[in-house]
Amino acid sequence: MSIVFWIAIILFALAIAIALLRVATAKDLGSRAIIGDLVYFSAVGILTMIAMLADLSIMLDVIFLSSLLGILSTIALSRILTRGYR
Amino acid sequence: MWIIDVVIAVCVLTGALLMVTSALAMFRAKDALSRINVFSPATGLGMPLVVAGCFIYTLRSEGFSVYRLLIAIVAFLSLIIVSSIASNTLSRSTVVAGSPVHRYTRPNRLVEPLRLAEDTEEPQSGAGSQENGQTPVPPETDQPG
Repeated sequence: MSIVFWIAIILFALAIAIALLRVATAKDLGSRAIIGDLVYFSAVGILTMIAMLADLSIMLDVIFLSSLLGILSTIALSRILTRGYR
Repeated sequence: MWIIDVVIAVCVLTGALLMVTSALAMFRAKDALSRINVFSPATGLGMPLVVAGCFIYTLRSEGFSVYRLLIAIVAFLSLIIVSSIASNTLSRSTVVAGSPVHRYTRPNRLVEPLRLAEDTEEPQSGAGSQENGQTPVPPETDQPG
């Protein structure tokens, strides 16, 4: 069962690597903002997989809090894009 | 019990593969709006599948709990709703900030605002002429405002 979680961790890490490569080659700021969001959710996935590997009891709390608060970084980046104009 | 293991593995691996797919689709999309659009499978289907697999894993290892069920449902729904709102806000600010829209993006009404204005003026004028008989509603709303 743990090899499934390791494969999933490798896949999430691959997604993060591809996304960071895309951030390096992207030109506009909106693409970088949404790729930062992708990196954030991939990191949440890696944390969940680690919690399931170590049999921690907080694995659902991690996804709960991060999914509720994940909007903050995106909204902050969108405010930065428009220089404070709503 | 191996069926539960297979269900967990399918959920988790599908979620991870959807995340990789979204990361690869960032290369194929041509502009920021398309990239925000192709990001939605990752948070709309991939992360809820991870939540489902995680909840099934806790069911198997720690048993049923109302608290965990509630947290899993809230996380499942908030991943869909909150990330959709965030993507909507980000795409709106991207358009407002003047990000270029590629010519392959279809339907591409953002670079043809004049034709869109012509298309929307006709139904609006027609609807306005039809609603002229129902105009007592706007003055009533203007008075408290």
